[in-house]
Amino acid sequence: MTLKECYAALGGDYDEAMGRLRSERLVQKFVLKFLNDGSHQLLCDSLAAGDRDEAFRAAHTIKGVCANLAFNALLNSSEALTEALRDGRPPQPGEEELIARVNADYDRAYRAIQEFQAGVSE
Amino acid sequence: MTSKQTILIIDDSEMNRAILADMLGNEFDIIEAENGVEGVAMLQKHGPEISLVLLDIVMPEMDGFGVLNLMNKYHWIEDIPVIMISAERGSTHIERAFDLGVIDFISRPFDALIVHRRVVNTILLYAKQKRLTAMVAEQIFEKEHRSSLMIDILSHIVEFRNGESGMHVRHVHTLTETILKVLLRRTEKYHLTQTDISVISTASALHDIGKIAIPEDVLNKPGKLTNEEFAIMKTHSMVGAEMLEALPFYQDEPLVKAAYQICRWHHERWDGRGYPDRLKGDEIPISAQIVALADVYDALTSERVYKPAFSHEQAVNMILNGECGTFNPLLMDCLRDCADVIQEELKGGNLEDRSHREIQNVALELHKHEELIASERTLELLEHERMKYSFFASLTKEIQFEYTVTPPSLVLSTWGAEKLNLPEVLMDPYQNQQARAIMDARDLDNLADMLHSTTPGNPVVTYDCKLRVEGEERWHRIIARAAWSSEEPPRYTGCIGKALDNHSSRLQMENLERQASHDTLTGLLNRAYAKKRIMERLEDRPGGHYALAILDLDYFKSANDTYGHMFGDQVLKFLAERMRHSIRGGDIAARVGGDEFLIFLEYKEDLESTIEGIYNRVNGGVYEDFKISVSMGVASTELVDADFETLFRCADEALYVVKNSGKGHYSYYHEVHTHVGEVSAVSPIDGESAAGKTAQKKGEQV
Repeated sequence: MTLKECYAALGGDYDEAMGRLRSERLVQKFVLKFLNDGSHQLLCDSLAAGDRDEAFRAAHTIKGVCANLAFNALLNSSEALTEALRDGRPPQPGEEELIARVNADYDRAYRAIQEFQAGVSE
Repeated sequence: MTSKQTILIIDDSEMNRAILADMLGNEFDIIEAENGVEGVAMLQKHGPEISLVLLDIVMPEMDGFGVLNLMNKYHWIEDIPVIMISAERGSTHIERAFDLGVIDFISRPFDALIVHRRVVNTILLYAKQKRLTAMVAEQIFEKEHRSSLMIDILSHIVEFRNGESGMHVRHVHTLTETILKVLLRRTEKYHLTQTDISVISTASALHDIGKIAIPEDVLNKPGKLTNEEFAIMKTHSMVGAEMLEALPFYQDEPLVKAAYQICRWHHERWDGRGYPDRLKGDEIPISAQIVALADVYDALTSERVYKPAFSHEQAVNMILNGECGTFNPLLMDCLRDCADVIQEELKGGNLEDRSHREIQNVALELHKHEELIASERTLELLEHERMKYSFFASLTKEIQFEYTVTPPSLVLSTWGAEKLNLPEVLMDPYQNQQARAIMDARDLDNLADMLHSTTPGNPVVTYDCKLRVEGEERWHRIIARAAWSSEEPPRYTGCIGKALDNHSSRLQMENLERQASHDTLTGLLNRAYAKKRIMERLEDRPGGHYALAILDLDYFKSANDTYGHMFGDQVLKFLAERMRHSIRGGDIAARVGGDEFLIFLEYKEDLESTIEGIYNRVNGGVYEDFKISVSMGVASTELVDADFETLFRCADEALYVVKNSGKGHYSYYHEVHTHVGEVSAVSPIDGESAAGKTAQKKGEQV
């Protein structure tokens, strides 16, 4: 799997990322780093604990990272969740779906990058 | 110093920091902080070493706006540019960020090239601004210096013609400046600023330029002037003013305006009896009033061909007596106030001092312009100091610390942080359990109290206490200096100091003290120390009843001879142990030397039974084969003077009598006649037979 294919698999825009970071080496470095980023775990944990402020910050961080890497699918879903969690807002109807979408997009990105990583290490 | 400039990245996402660091790492040194609190600590630690801050908004602990607020509060934002980077797109966020002084706002996702370019541009811009600031300051110094040089030369030309010392203009300048400063402190009535002071003192040099138009034979006439000549002389003030008024340029210059007032009116007097316009009171501009006073004062206190120099007091009195016309009473007060300063200034008022003063004035002015607060040079000096400090701190094995009240933070030297197992920068140390565990809460409170009670003039305190270091309680000496702000009243802003481990030296000291005060064989006090303690006791409560007993082990010499010295030592220890158990808590037991001991005690009424009890517990029985027999002489303050030497000598005499009359009992000392020291005159009462007879009166014949 090439990096470009990986981007396609996770719903991102490879060209946009290249345009921004200017080198395949950098893009690859940060894409792989994504696997170790704890923000999604923090998001799940703080939602489970009912800490909505922390959850907001975690969602916000995911959004920022995805924006830089042009992981657009996860960017869009995490952006929607960020807004839902902003300023300690109480849960609105449909929030569950937003969370589920973020989780799905995250899993999709995670799996795609894992697969890409397997190819790199070989 | 490294030639690379330093960028601080404050962002809670490690990914984001890594991306930025990667983009900029080739050209810049990158330091990172993962939340606002850490960021502020970094800013505090590195200060102006940081060329730029890249700041995220949404962060735990303290967000980006919190950081900006603090940077504003401490004016860091004026020296350190901040670029905000955030995924926030709301215009309110962006607006707020710019309001708080950020130089640029980059939204995520960002383009590597754009970030790079903006960072470089900002750093260049700031560097240029700093250079410009320094250049402007230099030019102002230069300009100011040149113009006062010109004025000096000009006014000296006048003086030369006048045949004066050449110091008069300088003195008037110094006096004017000094009096103005005092006046500024005393009243706001005249709306004077630092600039006015500088302008008026400079202009004062021109007060006599009109004399250039006075014919030389009048100007330098050795004798008294005729009325006609005096009338000519008096024109110099108006002529000077007219010369200035006739200047084709610079009419709006404050210096020219001030010089005009001074020239024209420096011979006016408070009561309206001066010249040329007979102005009265505050009709006379304050600049002219002050120069007039300075002119007169310097004429009086300087030596002239026709008069000696008068002292400050004489001159003030002469002016007060109206010998030179009347002056504003407020200015007279100012003149009196600054007597010391004036004398100092006039003595050392050389050109160097003066330019130094002018530079100070300019510096004060510069301070008013916010954008000039920290010049490049100041920053370099700071950087130099910081380097010096951290170098020396790294050399010494000491726990060095710096505490700031706002924001509450503790900075430790590298070595100290390692030793205490704390981070080098600690925010809110009072809330930190690990930090609190190092020092007892009571000690911490005491130390804080001591520091708060210091004064800016005397800010250093020393405090000894135990610190828990590496799991062990050890004595430390803390030397700390409180930091007070320069405002009025001064505010406590924190402290710096160090903690020195003096554990072993302290224990050694305690040990030495013990050795110096105790007898090594028996562990009782030694004679010298017992004497000190007894004298203290006697002095503390001179009215009390005290007794001193000297004990002697009978037949001790034979014990030594028969069984050897080792055995003798054991017997002494045995007896000492008995003594220790025979006395009460406050009593003093000591080994006087050899086989002689003493006991000192305070008593209320029943001395007899106390002494008897002690004697019976100490005397009798055997140690191994050796029979313990004790002889004892007692002296009490009811019968002899209450000082150690007398008590000791009398008890010793009583003991001597016991020794000579069969040993193995005790006896009191009774003074029977005044020639103390003649043993035959002393009549001890045998302990057994004296039982029940308690109160023996002084001087009683037995």
